[in-house]
Amino acid sequence: MMHAVYALIQIIVIILAAPLVNGIIRKVKALTQKRKGAPLLQMYFDLFKLLKKSVVVSDVASWIFRAAPYIAIASAVAASLFVPVTAWPESQGYAGDMILFVSVLALGRFFMMLAALDTASTFGGMGSSREAMISALIEPSLLVTLFTVGLIAKSTSIFQIMHFTAGVGIPLLHPVYILGFAALCMIIIAETSRIPVDDPSTHLELTMVHEAMILEYSGRDLALMELSASIRQLVFITLLVNIYVPHDQMIALYGLSGFAAIAVSLLVYLIEVILVSILIAVIEVHTVKLRLFSIPNLAALAFIVSFLGFIQYFVLGR
Amino acid sequence: MSSYLDILSVLLLLSSFVLMANKRIKSHIRTFRFQSAMIALAAGILGVNSLIHEGRVDLLVVCAVIIAIKVIYIPRLLHRVYANVEYKVEKDFFLNIPILILGCCMIVVFTYFALSKTDGINTGTENMRVVNSVSLILIGLFFMISRKKAIGQIVGFLVIENGIFVTAMFATQGMPFIVDMGMFVDLLSAVMILGIMVFKINEKFDSIDINKLKNLRG
Repeated sequence: MMHAVYALIQIIVIILAAPLVNGIIRKVKALTQKRKGAPLLQMYFDLFKLLKKSVVVSDVASWIFRAAPYIAIASAVAASLFVPVTAWPESQGYAGDMILFVSVLALGRFFMMLAALDTASTFGGMGSSREAMISALIEPSLLVTLFTVGLIAKSTSIFQIMHFTAGVGIPLLHPVYILGFAALCMIIIAETSRIPVDDPSTHLELTMVHEAMILEYSGRDLALMELSASIRQLVFITLLVNIYVPHDQMIALYGLSGFAAIAVSLLVYLIEVILVSILIAVIEVHTVKLRLFSIPNLAALAFIVSFLGFIQYFVLGR
Repeated sequence: MSSYLDILSVLLLLSSFVLMANKRIKSHIRTFRFQSAMIALAAGILGVNSLIHEGRVDLLVVCAVIIAIKVIYIPRLLHRVYANVEYKVEKDFFLNIPILILGCCMIVVFTYFALSKTDGINTGTENMRVVNSVSLILIGLFFMISRKKAIGQIVGFLVIENGIFVTAMFATQGMPFIVDMGMFVDLLSAVMILGIMVFKINEKFDSIDINKLKNLRG
């Protein structure tokens, strides 16, 4: 029973908060350019409008094209269940580990790439080949980062890691954690198609990666695709927040329990998410889009930084 | 205090990786400035510690000298040299960037295994700081041999010097004052001579590519 309630809270919070993150990032970017920018809730309006419209599907498209939006959103929501947004009583347990987390996310991406190839449009093929390249380069560093943090916590469950970190003190003052933090920041930028890797706000054929893949979609399917992209983004931000500034800490501090614990941890979580989105927006404002062939350099740096954290764990001898 | 020094040693190592991944001379200089500021901070932390416990002020003086020379003077000198040469992007590496960064990583692993056999420094986090700073020396050397242009090599030389200084500082909790000062004077004269050399190479060969030094010119 409790499990169902927690899972429900988890899903509702993730789905409702995901478009807000996009809104915040766009707003901060607009403010730094001295524009007023779209309202914070613009993405909700867009999604509602798209959900009301009918779907146009190409005659040559197969079932993969039709199924991909549902698989994408299902995998994104399933992945969000691995990263707790509220306090979770330890007695309840928490299933799933990080290898499954990464592969569930990869499943959604795989179907997205297949669907882009399905209609045989030139942009779709280009977008999925680029996406395949970027994800193949970035995924190893994500896994190495998670393994390093898991080695310290002696567990592969993100929930256990979060609980362990809550006892560490300030994780950002720990040499292994800080390298993982730097790597995870680079990974988030690459995984959520943010500026040094991909520009989410343009449809320029030379540079687009994610937009090229969903170019063929319309109406409800497009809404699902965009929502799943923003849920993936929120899942990665939640991962960062869970590992580095666990909101469990507050609960342990004040000895709260039950409903109050959920409410307080949710509030802390939302504040942290807002801060991280502002950080991402600031990074995005201060960098320029990389050439596609320079992305391996960034990926190599991300991988090496995470691997360095792995080495430091052994050098420290803990 | 010791956890701050651990973080600083990791950040120093990280900055050398960022240096390796950069292509532009301007960002080399910026990263070098960041690295020197980290070193100044580490010296400051050690200095405050030794002031409280032993009443010594020499490390604080060293910290001030680092800020004056490495954070302010040398980067400014390098910027001035850079403004006077034609080549703005150092794209002539001997290897591509991912391989260079992997090489750096190998250096860190090598240093770890080399130092784990050494007696005397294998006490907990001390060891980690020494590993990081010795790898900083070797990465500086690697940076120097991987760049073809003269300014990149000056930056590599400075990174080696930073590494030597940090190794000495972390291993001994502050070298004798006169040794530190001697190192700085050495460094300062070396960089000034190198800066003048770059001017002269540029004037004579219309480029700062050191491969052209092999050509004979009458």
